[in-house]
Amino acid sequence: MIRRNKYKNRIELLQGTLDMLILQTLQWGPQHGYGLVQAIRLQSGDVLQIETGSLYPALHRLERQGWVSAAWRQTESNQRAKYYRITAAGKKQLASDLDKWQQISAAIGSILQSGPERGDV
Amino acid sequence: MRLFPRSFAQRKDDLAEELQTHLQMAMQDRMDRGEPTEEARVAAMRELGNVPLIEDVTRGMWGWVWLERLGQDLKYSLRQLVKSPGFTLTVVGTLALGLGATAAMFTVVNRVLLRPLPYQDAHALVEIKEAGNKGVVAYGAPFLDIQQWRERDRLLSEIAFFVANDAMGRRSFLEGNSTSIQVVAPEISANLFATLGVHPAMGRGFEGRPETGSVREEDAHAIVLSDAVWRMSFGGDPKILGKMVKLNGNSYQVVGVMPRGFSFPLNVASPMVWTPIVLGQADALRTRHETPHYQVIARFKRKANPLGAEAELKGIQQEVAKQYTDPYERALVTSINLRRYGDSLVGSDMRKSLLALFGASALLWLIACVNVTSLLLARASSRQQEISVRGALGASRWRIVQQLLIEGLVLSGIASLLGLALAMLTLKLFEHGLMTQFNVHTKLTPNLSVLGGLLGLTVVSALVSSIWPAIGAARASIEPALRQRSVQTGAGRMQYRTRALLVVTEIAMSLALLFGCGLLLRTVYALRHVPLGFRTDHVIVVNMAIPAYKFAGRDMTTELYQPLVERVQHLPGVQSAALMTEVPLGNTFQMIFSFDVPGSSAADIRTRDLRAQFRAVGPEMQKVFGFRMLKGRFFNAGDTPASQPVVVVNRAFVAAFTGDNRNPGAILGKTLLGYGKGRRAIVVGVLDDERQVSVAQQSQPEIEVCIPQITPDSGFYKSAEGMAMDLAVRTERNPSAVIPELRAVMRNASPELVAINFTTMDQVVDDSYGSQRLAARLLEVFGCAALLLCIAGIYGLLAYQVTQRTRELGLRIALGAQRGDVMWLVLRQASWMLLAGSGVGLILAYLSSLLLRTFLYGVQPHDPWTMGAVTLLLLVGGLIAAYVPARRAASVDPMRALRAD
Repeated sequence: MIRRNKYKNRIELLQGTLDMLILQTLQWGPQHGYGLVQAIRLQSGDVLQIETGSLYPALHRLERQGWVSAAWRQTESNQRAKYYRITAAGKKQLASDLDKWQQISAAIGSILQSGPERGDV
Repeated sequence: MRLFPRSFAQRKDDLAEELQTHLQMAMQDRMDRGEPTEEARVAAMRELGNVPLIEDVTRGMWGWVWLERLGQDLKYSLRQLVKSPGFTLTVVGTLALGLGATAAMFTVVNRVLLRPLPYQDAHALVEIKEAGNKGVVAYGAPFLDIQQWRERDRLLSEIAFFVANDAMGRRSFLEGNSTSIQVVAPEISANLFATLGVHPAMGRGFEGRPETGSVREEDAHAIVLSDAVWRMSFGGDPKILGKMVKLNGNSYQVVGVMPRGFSFPLNVASPMVWTPIVLGQADALRTRHETPHYQVIARFKRKANPLGAEAELKGIQQEVAKQYTDPYERALVTSINLRRYGDSLVGSDMRKSLLALFGASALLWLIACVNVTSLLLARASSRQQEISVRGALGASRWRIVQQLLIEGLVLSGIASLLGLALAMLTLKLFEHGLMTQFNVHTKLTPNLSVLGGLLGLTVVSALVSSIWPAIGAARASIEPALRQRSVQTGAGRMQYRTRALLVVTEIAMSLALLFGCGLLLRTVYALRHVPLGFRTDHVIVVNMAIPAYKFAGRDMTTELYQPLVERVQHLPGVQSAALMTEVPLGNTFQMIFSFDVPGSSAADIRTRDLRAQFRAVGPEMQKVFGFRMLKGRFFNAGDTPASQPVVVVNRAFVAAFTGDNRNPGAILGKTLLGYGKGRRAIVVGVLDDERQVSVAQQSQPEIEVCIPQITPDSGFYKSAEGMAMDLAVRTERNPSAVIPELRAVMRNASPELVAINFTTMDQVVDDSYGSQRLAARLLEVFGCAALLLCIAGIYGLLAYQVTQRTRELGLRIALGAQRGDVMWLVLRQASWMLLAGSGVGLILAYLSSLLLRTFLYGVQPHDPWTMGAVTLLLLVGGLIAAYVPARRAASVDPMRALRAD
């Protein structure tokens, strides 16, 4: 009971950004779940380690919302895997997410920068 | 996005495979980096985390998980219910009783009270009647008065009028393509269809005069057919418009056909046609006996309210009344009575009785719910262990509540199916009574809205009965239940008190139902023992509809009635047979006789106030019914058209006429009415009192004329002609053997007499107190069911209690308690519940009996004997229910009880 709640909390916390990260990563081409974890880890310089407990619920939610589509395919090492591909609606969603993200990070950034200056006065 | 989810199993497999692939890839990566296989596997698995949990959360994203849970819960609860069939059957049976009774009564309420009228904005339609010092004038208003309302009124948009011929006993026959059929043929004003907001489906209505609303002379012989007549008699002929048809022998031209389902007035069983009202000379007068009187229906304007319209009409009527020159006549019509048309169709007595019965069924339902709540409480506590385990394994409280609610829903769902069957059975069993009492002409079967209501009630029953036990079970703390096996804690005592309270409630409500049942049984008993004043055994009654037009210009008395009676009298086994316009208690139609005398002395006023039942009867009637003569003689074979006209009156008539009932013989020899051409009829006999209108109603003033003496030139030949006529036949033979012979005689006399109604006098009497008998029978069923549930409730609680206390009882016995003491311990609990329940129940019974007041006859609403009897019944039943567990408590073997744990 308790552990399940922990998972739920984490998903909620990460929901907006995790969705965005997944969609952004999928822009480079279709990818399976493990590939996504690796890609995000590599690109963030080993900082962001996506938990499978968050990833798969997020992927399935994105699929249900129609932002990604999924299909079973063979990998290079000849293994069957479920590949996710970003859809047109997903691209639109990503654009608006990025836009929002940039606004927020700009706003947060300006607050963090202006703080010490005011302190100097 | 997928609109339709793939099958659950397949998606689950997909997800498992996806996670498996993930694991494989992670392992491969690690092995590629040089880790040993086993280490790589363990590390990859640790990284992946709790696979079932991931699957669970991921499945939650599909949005169908609630359905899955629902499926699980359903499966689980079904398994639980099958596991304890006794409990399941008890709960389902109990709820089915309550739901079935309510569904059956709601079917009737829905049909009679909530029926949508086949008119546009039917709530804006009102019926207008004149009223005065003698109450509401039932026979209608003259055109002059209606015209005044039409001219002056501001709040009504249309005022239409009609003559309901059928209600006055005038039967009509329409000649169709092959045979002639009996139809209901009201005469209507031209604006009636517009007032109702219904237009002919084919053709047109009548051409009217806008200034009066009546029909133009050009359309005097136009006729509008109902859809049923058009289909039945004319085979749905599309070229029917313009054709000539014959109604009562007169030719009419068809100008329109009304849409299917339309009927006006409502509540008629036969097919209908409508003929026009064309105003004549007589409509320019206001005399009670010569001027036609019309029933009035009006539509009030969109924003007007009926109260305003009534006030306005009352104001106008005061002016109208001034135009009556005779003060006596004026006093009869000084005011207005306005009712919604929908309300006028269902009498207030009928409405009250129906609602009282519906209330009784709802009470039974409530008792059933209370009983089930008590049962579910017991079950929840015996399942406390299981529930605690589920809680300990991580089920949330809501989940447990949901599980128990679904169990409740499953139970009441099954119960409602069974209840529906019970409802249909009830409707079938009471079909005759319900249809005659509540004026329903089509089969009573639950329709969509009843099913909808039943569904709602099912859900409500489930909630009412299971939400309390469910919340209680979910709230109970997990630990103590898991630690100790039996539940003899404070919670157990609390629960016992709750259940005891429920049983007390049940007893109280059942007592109210039983009391109502008792009162009605006494009423029926009293009605059965009312001296009717005539014999009812071995009498067959034939309701004949006479096609009077076939005898136009001829004497119906000598050409139809007398030959018919003679032939019937000569049938084998027939002792006597006679005609009568209406048999006593026949309730088909009434002819009211009143005197038209000028003058204002006390005697004149008394004479004018006299309203007497008017009957034309054959001389054999006394032999058939055995009326008792108080004074003088009844009609005999000597009373012929040539002899002195004679009438017979009854004791109530003499009392009303002379204002003195001490000397009924004083009226003999007086002349009361004219037969035309100077022939005055004298009173030759006085009948003893009898019940003519209803069994519950005292004898009404009555005046009878002799059928052989009615010649076409006598004043009331016109009104008696074409009226319905009843033939009463006394025979010792079995009715089913005589009826075919009677039918053959009828067919020979006139082909229209084929489709007539046969019944027996016993049945007629039975039907006349049908509403009480129906209510008594229904309440018998409801009351017995309530008593049964009560007994089951008491038994269930005490039996459970004894099982729970086995150890304690064993200890008591081991320590020296006498068996009698232990028995008394259990019986004391029962007595306490019974006494408390009866106390509250008597108050409830007293209050609810006031609702039954309109039903009762010969018994007071708070009859102490009935109260005592039903309380005793309940107490005895309850103690018997308590005796079984008490015996079991007393026979507890102390050794075994103490060793059990």
